[in-house]
Order: sequence, then structure tokens, then C-alpha cells
Amino acid sequence: MAENTKQYWQGIEVLNEDPEFLKHRHNEFAEELPLEDALSEDTASLKSNRRDFLKMFGFGISAAALAACRDTPVKKAIPFLVKPETITPGVANYFASTCSGCSSACGILVKVRDGRPIKIEGNELSFNGEGTCSVGQATVLSLYDNYRAQSPMKSGQVTTWAEADAAISKAVAEAKAGAGKLRVLTGTVNSPSTRKAVQTLLDGASDGKLVQYDAVSHYGMLAANQASFGKYALPTYQFDKAQVIAGINCDFLGTWISPAQFARQYATGRKLDDTKSTMSKHYQVESLLSLTGSNADERATIRPAQEGAFVVALYNEVAKKAGSTVYTNSEDPTPGKMAARIAADLWKHKGNSLVVCGSNNTNIQLVVNAINHLLGNYGTTLSLARTSNQKSGNDAEMAQLLADMKAGQVHTLILSGVNPVYDYPAGNEFKQALSKVKNTISLNDRLDETSAAVTWLCPDNHFLESWNDNEPLSGHFTLTQPTIPALFDTRQAIESYLTWGGSPKAAYDFVQENWKSSILGVTGNWNQSLHDGVYDNFSGGAEPALSGDMASAMGAAAGAGKNLGDLSVVLYEKVAIRDGSMANNPWLQEFPDPISKTSWDNYVTVSNKFAEDNSLNQGDLAEIKSGAYSVTLPVLIQPGQAYGTLGIAVGYGRAEGAGKTAAGVGQNAYPLAKASAEGVTYASTATITKVEGVYALAQTQIHHYYEGRNIVKETTLAEWQKDKKSGNPDVTLITPEGQKAPHTITLWDNYDHTKGHHWGMVIDLNDCTGCGSCVVACQAENNIAVVGKREVLVRREMHWMRIDRYYSFKDETGVEISKEKEMGKVKDFENVEVIFQPMLCQHCDNAPCETVCPVLATVHSAEGLNQQAYNRCIGTRYCANNCPYKVRRFNWFEYAGNEKFDYTMYNSLNRMVLNPDVTVRSRGVMEKCSFCVQKIQEGKLAAKKEGTVLADGAIKTACQKVCPSNAIHFGDKNDPNSTVSKLLQDDRNFQVLEEVKTLPNVSYLTKVRNIDAVNS
Amino acid sequence: MSKNFLLGVYDDEQPVLNAVNELRIKGIRVYDVYSPFAIHGMDDALGIKRTRLTIAAFIYGVIGCTLALSMMIYMNVFDWPMNIGGKPAFMGPDFIPVTFELTVLITALGMVGTFLYVSRLAPGVEGDLIDPRVTNDRFIIAVEIKNEEVRRKTEEVLKSYGSLEIRERLTEK
Amino acid sequence: MIQESAVRPPLVLGDKTYSQMTEDIMKPLETKPNLLWLAAFSIAALVMTMGFALIGYLFVEGTGVWGLNKTVGWAWDITNFVFWVGIGHAGTLISAVLLLFRQKWRTSINRAAEAMTIFAVMCAGIFPVIHTGRPWLAFWMLPLPNVHGSLWVNFNSPLLWDVFAISTYLTVSLVFWYIGLIPDIATVRDRAEGLRKTIYGALSFGWNGSARTWARYEVVCLILAGLSTPLVLSVHTIVSFDFATSVIPGWHTTIFPPYFVAGAIFSGFAMVHTLMILTRSIFKLKEYVTIYHIELMNIVIIITGSVVGLAYGTEFFIAWYSGVEYEQYAFLNRAFGPFAWAYWTMITCNVITPQLFWFNAIRKSATATFIISIFVNIGMWFERFVIIVTSLHRDYLPSSWAMYSPTFVEIGIFIGTFGLFFTLFLLFAKTLPVIALHEIKTVLKSSGEKYRQAAAHRVEKGSAGESPIMPEISLARNPQQETEI
Repeated sequence: MAENTKQYWQGIEVLNEDPEFLKHRHNEFAEELPLEDALSEDTASLKSNRRDFLKMFGFGISAAALAACRDTPVKKAIPFLVKPETITPGVANYFASTCSGCSSACGILVKVRDGRPIKIEGNELSFNGEGTCSVGQATVLSLYDNYRAQSPMKSGQVTTWAEADAAISKAVAEAKAGAGKLRVLTGTVNSPSTRKAVQTLLDGASDGKLVQYDAVSHYGMLAANQASFGKYALPTYQFDKAQVIAGINCDFLGTWISPAQFARQYATGRKLDDTKSTMSKHYQVESLLSLTGSNADERATIRPAQEGAFVVALYNEVAKKAGSTVYTNSEDPTPGKMAARIAADLWKHKGNSLVVCGSNNTNIQLVVNAINHLLGNYGTTLSLARTSNQKSGNDAEMAQLLADMKAGQVHTLILSGVNPVYDYPAGNEFKQALSKVKNTISLNDRLDETSAAVTWLCPDNHFLESWNDNEPLSGHFTLTQPTIPALFDTRQAIESYLTWGGSPKAAYDFVQENWKSSILGVTGNWNQSLHDGVYDNFSGGAEPALSGDMASAMGAAAGAGKNLGDLSVVLYEKVAIRDGSMANNPWLQEFPDPISKTSWDNYVTVSNKFAEDNSLNQGDLAEIKSGAYSVTLPVLIQPGQAYGTLGIAVGYGRAEGAGKTAAGVGQNAYPLAKASAEGVTYASTATITKVEGVYALAQTQIHHYYEGRNIVKETTLAEWQKDKKSGNPDVTLITPEGQKAPHTITLWDNYDHTKGHHWGMVIDLNDCTGCGSCVVACQAENNIAVVGKREVLVRREMHWMRIDRYYSFKDETGVEISKEKEMGKVKDFENVEVIFQPMLCQHCDNAPCETVCPVLATVHSAEGLNQQAYNRCIGTRYCANNCPYKVRRFNWFEYAGNEKFDYTMYNSLNRMVLNPDVTVRSRGVMEKCSFCVQKIQEGKLAAKKEGTVLADGAIKTACQKVCPSNAIHFGDKNDPNSTVSKLLQDDRNFQVLEEVKTLPNVSYLTKVRNIDAVNS
Repeated sequence: MSKNFLLGVYDDEQPVLNAVNELRIKGIRVYDVYSPFAIHGMDDALGIKRTRLTIAAFIYGVIGCTLALSMMIYMNVFDWPMNIGGKPAFMGPDFIPVTFELTVLITALGMVGTFLYVSRLAPGVEGDLIDPRVTNDRFIIAVEIKNEEVRRKTEEVLKSYGSLEIRERLTEK
Repeated sequence: MIQESAVRPPLVLGDKTYSQMTEDIMKPLETKPNLLWLAAFSIAALVMTMGFALIGYLFVEGTGVWGLNKTVGWAWDITNFVFWVGIGHAGTLISAVLLLFRQKWRTSINRAAEAMTIFAVMCAGIFPVIHTGRPWLAFWMLPLPNVHGSLWVNFNSPLLWDVFAISTYLTVSLVFWYIGLIPDIATVRDRAEGLRKTIYGALSFGWNGSARTWARYEVVCLILAGLSTPLVLSVHTIVSFDFATSVIPGWHTTIFPPYFVAGAIFSGFAMVHTLMILTRSIFKLKEYVTIYHIELMNIVIIITGSVVGLAYGTEFFIAWYSGVEYEQYAFLNRAFGPFAWAYWTMITCNVITPQLFWFNAIRKSATATFIISIFVNIGMWFERFVIIVTSLHRDYLPSSWAMYSPTFVEIGIFIGTFGLFFTLFLLFAKTLPVIALHEIKTVLKSSGEKYRQAAAHRVEKGSAGESPIMPEISLARNPQQETEI
């Protein structure tokens, strides 16, 4: 193309080549900028022109404006302009940590959304797998508890850390110098770093000691193992390896030592599928109906007084077979009979059997050790080569401490994470004794019963704000890392110990150094361990040999119950409230006890016959007196409970300081136990007297029998092995086109769900232990409101997922009785059979609820989900009425932001736990299980981004993920290889109310009981 | 033009009926009869044609039915079909109730509306009331007087059936 | 005019003339309200206010102020709805069906009955609205175009059918009622002075009693009657679909439509009794609403009452015959479960008490009828309560079984609707003729006591004599006859 010769002139000056212009044309600025002047000190000589004035003026204004923005809390704000590599708004991060809900220290993953921990999930690298217990699920809510101490306090008055540290360091120094005993009282400490920190505090003290005690003591076992094996530790158990399990007053699926871990093993041992057609046999002998007992294949009841005798009888039976010494036993036929049956079975599977006992009596535990030893179970189903540090409370030392305190010998007492004033049987004495201690310091998280009685409250962080570590099993180390900056002016216990010990250090540095120096060794890697949350360097070892004086133990055990009268009160832990330390957690208070289905209270359970004989009715108030202490509680009639026992749950009756939710709920039962140097005994002689008045218990289920209906199905192992369809026969109907399965008969063509996904869930009733973790997990995941006792009483609990619990009995002829009107025929209510059935929205393909909604607020999705459009719902409740499963929940009031419901959605702090992915429902709308649709979307999106096909198991609903026994399976029915599709083909698979033809997408697998066809 | 009416007032329906019959026999056209209630046979006597309101009603019915059906089919089948309880979008039986109701509604309203229109009845309308007593206990025969002949004959007949009074009325039409 | 058999008692007592009738029936409108009326009205108004206050409370707090729960999602709300709709059936039935059957005796009661219908349906209409969790959005039940685009309603939902059924029923009844009123309002107009004249004048639509209008008028009434008859049957049929189309044992029953309609007529007639027996004594209309009227309605009550009783029995039989354990349990639970007291109250009031009408004395006694009518009303309320609550509280899964007890709010709102109902009715009785004047005038000759005696007298003499009626009839039939004379 022709060269462009055109001249473009930029201005008239260019055209007539103005010399002045030409001189400056190459300068950027037409005239000199008075920078020197501007920068020079003497402003008098400033020769700035109008433009400069404007520039400076403008700069001044904007600078002032910027300066004015400075009062934003920069400390807490996340500067998303410079995006932190880990945080993407709207995308959750997961941090490996360790649960401190109880001392079993399960590995967890903490789900953090936009800097807020909102959900706890199990860490599959840990012994508990992806499952956790209900308590673990609820810990995240305790983080946002506005009754936590928000700063250090001196006798109830807010103070500063500086002041506290000064005073306490001084006290500690004095004590070390010999002014008196220096004691640190904690619960079970299985954290190496914490131990080390405490040690640095105690170092050089003339009389310094770390005393551990557990609210619910396992000292009996620890002492027994000390005696038999020279190890003050608990054994590690392998319930999955045990073919025969005998539990004696031992709720290992609900509350004992490490329930999530044991539930997982237990379920593994009882899993049935195409590959595995045998399951472990579980005998349970107990006084109260525990969660574990309700899962047992065979179950017998004994009074606490018979416990020792029974264990000895069991030993003798085994010993007979083993040709070993038989010891004299107290003449009590009742335990004997069952003992023979169990012993026979145990012996048949010796080496692969397991006997566990929940007693806190050292002698009884010694006998149990002997039994397991006779059966050669050590090394297979339980081991002391690898010990468990999940409980290490020492009642003897605790008793000694109390004595010292009374004697005024304790100069400085530091309590951390313990509440003896409330939960030590001699709590009152302890409280008085505290006044004899010169310096009392509590590290508890709130102004609870104990903290209120001490001088200094130096609140510890919540574990989700902390650096810490644990060694729950020997050689199995876990790390705790903070997932949120400390919400309040609190400080980690470790840091406090170090400060007062005179060598302050940040917990992070301390823990890391400790790991690098004494744990990781050469193989371990800090970052890897932190990422995994778990580091295991267990190198094996030999089982210690059994030693010790059996004869005396046998004698003592046999006579253990002799001082217990005909009527004794037995204290137990509830699955959710446990020892009561988390009593201020609304999720746990609203959680219905798996057995009694009662929330928001403790009560005294009595057997049907006992109630009859003493004319006690459900809800009658009765006074239970043991020794000097008495409580007045409502009566709850509990099938499966031993005659002459009164069951009362601990963990209730907290003081105001514990928090609004906990205060005034139930009565404190701890003082009914007896503390002694031999160990706390949780069963003691008592009297019960009916008092005036009745009390309404908030039960989420008031009808306990399945009325012989075909809604739950069960069979026995023997029958199932013969016929895989046993208990679940095919049903066909005669039609003009011949025999047809009910669900295939239709008036119109069903929708084609074969394209895309078709979500389905299968729940194995044989794996489900009824523990109810799923209920709390669902509540946490889906922002389900807590409605409080008043509303639960009128049957308005909001749980999307519930666990139906049905009792059935046998009459003399062994015929099953499950109808209310036939209950008269039942002679023995202690011999109860329990079946659990998790019940949630069945996502029916022919959903009755959808047809009747006038405004189309609930319709069916292309993926088979029964959807609920909250903002379209006008709340006619027609859908709930027409739901055969009664799984729809209505917002009777505005639960969010309503001070009448100040549980999880009113207070701005509590609300931090809400899941931003799930709508908080408003008043007057219907809600229900959504199959965690937010998780489904998330999973689909992830697969889409990776450009891969959605893998089976990539999406896990909250209930499925948390289930310790892995009973819930969720997936795509259209994927022929998905677990769900396979389980749908299983012969045990059945739908609830198939005959109504709702075509549910949730189905169940028949429960199989490992009992002989002829029921014993 | 102005019209001149001869009114015969009675206090019972029978003589009125008879008088009207006789007048018609005498070939005198009766303009109208006013009465406190419907007199059976009066329409025959006056030779009023059967009203076509019934046909109107039927048409309204058809309209209503069509409207209802087309509305439902448009909304639930064409505009936004959804899987409701696994049922097909077009659920014939489910549409029957609404169809029926709307048919009845539109028929009733339409027909009554037409009736009011043709009978010149509406809120606040000033009806040309011959005599306030016709809504109580008086029956009035109105005959338009075209000439003396008619007047004579009419008076004669009206009297013969014992009218209480006979008077003339001039109306501007 | 056709002569009725002398066996039938007269429908209008005493020696009445047309003007006399006008006087009697207009009196309540033209005199000052008597003490009885004032007392009744102020009480009713007070109760109504209380009802609305509680509804306000409900709107502010939420549905939770009722005693409902996750298992029993409906109780008093829908019970009251069905109860009032049921009451609302007699009116149209009397005016429509009896008109088609040319039952003369309807003339003295149809006006009041229709009014009752309208007010009852108004009361009924309150409940579907307030029972929703978000009443301010209740209008979403209408298929309105909206900003959300294709967001329509679900025409499969019986609740939606209700919306159409109830609104149609209300509208048509209102129209029917008002058309019937026009000539009488004209009568009021022509007797009134000043402001009243203008008001009634406007309301009278300029009625002038022309024979042409009368001719059309009769046709219109006939067609409206023809329309209302299936309508009245459809309304309660559709209401029964709320339950019949569900899957809940005890609801899922094909017998419901006829059973509900019979029940509705049953309760409707009972309520008409309650009202008319009061009205006739308060307004001294005993000569128009005679014992004979009462007796005729009592006969209808016996019939419908027996039908209802039969239905109760049939339900049980079918439950047993179906072999469905859930059905069987549902019905046994009704009769012998925790709500048995409600069930047996229902049986006593609905099945047993109406049978007393077999006794002549009771059938012909206003007082007895009044008492029994109250019983029937109670019984029919319990029928709905039993159907709704006892079916819901124990359905498929025993784990969800629950009990139900009402709160003062539910009870108060129900009582409040009675306040509304009577307030409206008393106002009506004071401002509009409670008896269809222009209709009852037509039956004076055929069923008036005086004329009846005259006729009977002639029959005795066995002569055609100087009857005031007979010859003219023949004349009226064919005018030609007269020319031959």
C-alpha cells in the first residue's frame, strides 16, 4: 500500500512551529512541577500555582477520607482483595483436627466456611473412620456458646491476663518453694504436649502432682490392669474380630470409652452381604436397657447386686471347660443360668470372643481380665500391647487430693476441664475443701459450679480455637489445630501452664517442637501429620502376662453386691448428654435419648413390674434417696430393665453458670454415687417414694409397638443363611396380566427416571445401632431449629431425621407380641426385643404430598428428589397430613431470630454455626429432608469442573457420612455399579409401606438377629 | 310522542287474568299488567313470547366450560408441566371439579346479567312505577288508548270484572 | 290454580289478605328493634369481635398458638370449615331443589335459609385462609398471573378444588338470594319514606312488577335453581375429596361424597330449624312458619340422619371387608381408641336423637325440634372432628402416633364465627324481609287457611257452587270458552 505521507498536527502551535512550544514539546509536563518546593520544609516559600493547589486540595480531601475509614476491625477482617490462597468465598475448607467432646479423641475434619467452623466430620484416617458420635457433631455448637467465659475472672469479676498471670505465677512459685502442695486436677489427659506443659509447671516443685479424674470413672479397669498386667491403662478392643461378644453392664456402643470407634468395629463384625454371611453373636447382661443392650442378640437382666456374682459364675463356667480352677460363688441361680449359655458360646469361639464389663469395681474387672485371658482373647480381640489412653482418671489419687485439701495441705490447685463440685460424688465436700486451698485456679470454659467456687477463672480456648495433640491409643497420635481465631479473650491451657511455669511460649511452637523432638522421630513429617491430623508410629509389642491373686479377687467380686439391697439406684450416661460437661448444647438437649426417646430431662427409669408393684405411673414424681442425698424425678417405665433397679442419668441439673440451656434441666444424680479410694461406685442402695404431682416428659415417640405391621422386617441368621429372602418374602398380586409385584401395577405410565441421576438411599437395619448421630448431623448440616421442651412436649420437634424405636416381647410360647392391645399377655417385660428404624423423607416417586399441595410448593425433581420450595409454601399442612411416613415438619412459629426460641438461631453468636448453603426457614412453611440437596449440587459441580463422571460415593449425605456403623448408603440408582443399586438388588431390601405405592427412593435392609431359630 | 293509558286497578289476580283474556278476545291489545307477584298463566294471556334466556344460559355454560378447561390445560400441561406426585401433566379426572364449578359460575352470572339488562333492572334505576301499591296488594291492567272506541270497550270490560277504579295516565315516551 | 288435597294442612294460618301479609312481614323492618333483638345482636357482635381479636393474635404469633402437631396437622380449623360449609347447604337446597319439585312449603323458609347459607359459607371461608401458616399469602391459591412467570397452581389438589367450589357456591347463592329479594325490596321501597326509600330504591333495581319482567324472572329463578341443585351437591362432594383422595386410613374412602352431602343436608336443616324457630317467635311469624313446616323439615332430617347412620355402618363394614389392617385399625381406633368419647358423642347426636322424630308428638313440637336441632348440630361438628383427628392421630407408622387437644385460641375462633354468623343473620332479619313475600302470596289461595276451609266446605256440599276460584281456572286455561258464553 502507498506510504502514508499525511501530516497530523497536534495543535496550532505545531502548525506554525511556535518556538516556545518546540522547546518544551519533548517534556511530559508543559511546565515544571513544583515538587522540590512541595517537598521542602519551608512552606512559606511554596510557589504553587492554582493547579497544584487543586491537586493538593484533592489529595488532602481523599487522604482525610481514607484516614476516616480506619475504625474497621482490621484485625478480624479477611483481606479478600489479596485473596488468601486457602479461602475461596463460598467454598468450604476442611481441616484435620481432634474431637474433644470426650476423652476418646476421635480424629475429625472441621468444615470451615468463610472462616467459620460449621460442621464436624469424621477423619477416615482415624480409628473412628468417617463417623462420629452425636456429641462430636455437637461440639461445633459449643464453640459458639455465649455462656463461655469471655475473659479471665477473679472471683467472678472480669480481670486481665496480666493480673491473673502475676498472681498465679506468684502462687505457683510459692508452692514450688514449699509453701504447700501444688496440684493440677484435670480430666483424662492423653495429650503428650499438655502433659509436658503441666510437667514444666510442676518442675522443681517440692510436692507437685498432676491428678486426673473422670466424671464417669473407669478406675476399676485401670486398677485391674495395673494389678493383672502391671499396666495402668485400658486395653484396645477389636470388636470386629470378636465372633462372640459378651457385654456386662457395658454400653460400648453408646457411652463406654470410645463409642464411635467401637460402633464401627461392632458393625464391621456384624455386616452381612453377598461376601459375608456370618456375623458376631452379641450377648448382653445388664441392669438397665442400654443402647448396646438394645442391639444384643440375646439379653438378660441382672440387678447390680448380682453383677459380681454373675461375672464369677461366667468365669467358673469358662474355667470348667478350660479345666481350670473353679471358685466359690454366692448362691444366686439367676446369673448362673445365662452364664452357662454364654460361657459355652464363648468357649466355642475362644480366641475370637470378647467379654467386656462396664463395672468400676476393680475386683470384678480382675475377673473379667481372667475370663478374657482364659479364653485367650488377649492379642486378638483385645490387647494391652497396644493400650488405650482414652480414660486414665485415678479415683484413689482424687480421694487423696480431697483429703489433702481438707487437711489444708494444698497450697495451689489448678483445675482444668473438670467440674468436681458438680460431678464428683462428694462434690459438696470438694466445694468446702476448696475454701481450705490458698490459691484456686480454674481453666474451665465457663463460670460453672467449680469455677464459681474458685478464685481465678482463666478460661481455656475451645478446642476448635486451639493447638493441641492427643495420643488416644499408644503410638496413635492426633493433632488439633485452630479453625478460627479465639472468639473471646481466652487462652489455651498449654500456654497458661507454660506462663505460670515461668517459660511462656505459643502453643503452636510448643506442640510443634514437642512433636519434632519426641514424637515424629525420623520417619514422621510435621506438615504431613498436620494435614492428616493423625500420625501412627505404633511398632507392636508383646502382650503382658497375667499375674496376681485370683482367689481374693474372686471372693471380693462374688461378694461385691452383698451390701446392695433389693432396691438400688444405678447411674448411667445418656448417649448425648454423657457426663454433662456439654449440657448447655441445645442440639444435645433436644436430642431424644435413643432408648427412652425423651429429650430435655432426666428421670428415674423403673421396670414395668416394679412400677406395677409400687403403683408408679409414667410421669409420677418420685423421690429417690440414697444415703443423705435425694432427688425428685419423674418416673419413666422402661421395658428391659431389671426389677429392683432405678436408673438415673447423670449430666443433668446443672447450675445457672453452665448456661441458659442447661440450667434447671433435670436433677443432678452424681451425689447418688459413692466416692472412695477403691473407685466410685455408681450403684447404691436407695429408696423410692412417690410424691405429689405428675411431670410431663418430652418424648418424641409415645407409642412403642409396631402393632404387627409390616413396616420393620427382621429374621434370624439361621433362617437368613437358609433363605436370603427370609423375613422379606416377595409380594405379588393377581392381576388380569397375571402375578405382578405391587409397585409395577399402575393406572398411568410412571415418569421415566432412567435418564440422568436418580438418587436413592438404602439403610441397613442390621447395621444401625440407633445411636442417633445422624439426627444431630442432619440438624447441624441443615440448620434445623431447636424448639425447646415446651414444643417437643406437643410433638413439634423439627428433626428431619428421626429414629423410630419399637419394642416387642415374647409370650411363654415364644410368640412375638407387638400389638398394644395384646400387651396384657406379656409376662416378662424385661425380655424385650428392640428394633431401630431411621425414618426420613422417603422421596417417593409417587409422592402423596406433592399431589395435594395447592400452590405447587412441593414437586418432584428430574433426579427423583421430592423438593420443597420454602418461599412458595403457604403452610396448609395438607402435605404433612397426607404423608404416610409423617416426616414433614412445620414451622409453627418463627424460630429464627425469635427470643422465645433462644437456642441456635436467635443470638448472633449462636447463628455463626448456621450453614450458609441451607435456607433458614421462616414461620408458616413446611420443611423436610432434602437428601442434602446442597451437597448433591456441590458434588455435581465438582465433577463438572473436573470434567469427570460423578463417582459413586462422591456425594455423601450428612446422615450417611456421620454414621459410625456405616448403615446408610446413598447414591445414584441409575448407576448400575453404585452401592445403592447393588443393595437394591439385595434380597433383604424392602420399602416401608410398599402397598401404599408411594414408590419411595429410600429403602431398608431386613434386620438379622443372630439367635437360634428356636428362641431361648 | 305521548301515550295515553287506561289503568284498571284490582285487588285480586283472578279477575285480572279473566279481564286480560276478555280484552284480547275483544281484540284489544293489553300494554302490560303490573302485579305484586307472578300470576300463573298471565304470560299466555298476554301472549308474551317464551324468553330465550334459557338459550343464553346454555351458551354461557359452554363458554365457562371451555374457559376452565383451556385455562387448566394451558397452565399445567403446556406452560409449565411438572412431575406432581408422579402423575402425568394432563390428569383428566383432576380437572373435572374446577371445570364444573366454573361452568356453573359463568352460566349463573352471565344469565342473571342478561336478565337484568333486558329487563332494564340495575342498581338505582328509576322504574316507571304505575302505582306504588302494585308491590303490595294491587293488580293493574294497562291498556294503551288509541281512540274512543278502544277506551269505551276497555272500560266496559275492566268494569265488568269489578275493577276498584279506572283511571287514565299520560306518559311521555 | 290447582287445588291441593285438603288432607295437607295449610301453610298460611289465619284469615290473611295480601295486604295483611305485607303488613305482617314488613313489620320487623319498619318497627324499632325489640329488646330481644337488641340483646341478641349485642351479644353476637361481642362474640364476633372476640373471634376476630383471636384471629389477629393467631396472625401475629403463628399457627403454633393452636394445639396442632407434626402428626395432627388439621383439627378444629378444617373441622369448623366443613361444619360451616355443611350448614350452608340447606339454604340452596330448600330454595333450589324444592323449587324444582314445586314444594310450596318452601316459600316461608327459603329466604331465611338462603341468607343462612350465605352467612354460613362466609364463616366457612374464614378457615381455609387462617389455617395456612402464612395467611397473607393465601391468595396464592388463585391462578393469578405473577412476576415469577410460569408459576401456577396445582389443579390436582383437592384444596384448590375447594377454593373454586366454595367461591362459586358463595357467588351463586348470593345471586340467587338477591334476585329473589328484588321484588320484596321493591315492596319495602314503596312503603318507605325519605332516606330508606332512596336506599331501598337503589337496591330494588327499579322493579315495577311488570308481567313481562315477571315472566323472565320466573325462568331465571328456575334456571338458577337448576344450576344450584348440582352445585349444592358438588360443593360438599368436593369438600369430601379433601379426605377421599388422600392416602390416610379413615380418609381414603369412596363413600365420602354421598355421605358428606347427606350429612350436610342433615346439619343444614337442623340449623334452619334452630334459626327459624327462633325467628318465628322473635318476629311473631308463627302463621307463616307453621308447625307443618317444621314437621316437613323434621321428616327430611329423619331421612338424612338415617342415611348418615347407614354411612357410619358402611364404613366399618368396608374397613373389615377390605382386609387392610391400617383401615381396620383406623376405624376400631375411632370407636374404642383415645378419642372414643368423640365418636360416641357423634353417634348419639346424629344417629339416635333424630330417630325421636318418628314420634308424632316430638315431630310436631317446636320446642323438641329446637332441642334436637341443637343436638344434630353438635353431632355433625363431632362427625367432622372424628373423621379428621382420629384418622390423623394414628395412621401408618406407630412411632408418629400422637394426641391432640385444642387451645383457647382454636375454641375462641370457632365461637367467634358463631358471633359473626348471628350478627349477620340478625342484621338481615332487621333490614330485609325474612319471608319471601312475593312467593308466599302465590300460595295464599292454594294453601291459605281461609281458602282451604272454603274449599273443604265446598267439598262437603259436593257442589261447584259460587266458588271464587274454580270457574276462573277453566277460563284462564282456554280463553275461547268464554266467547261461547
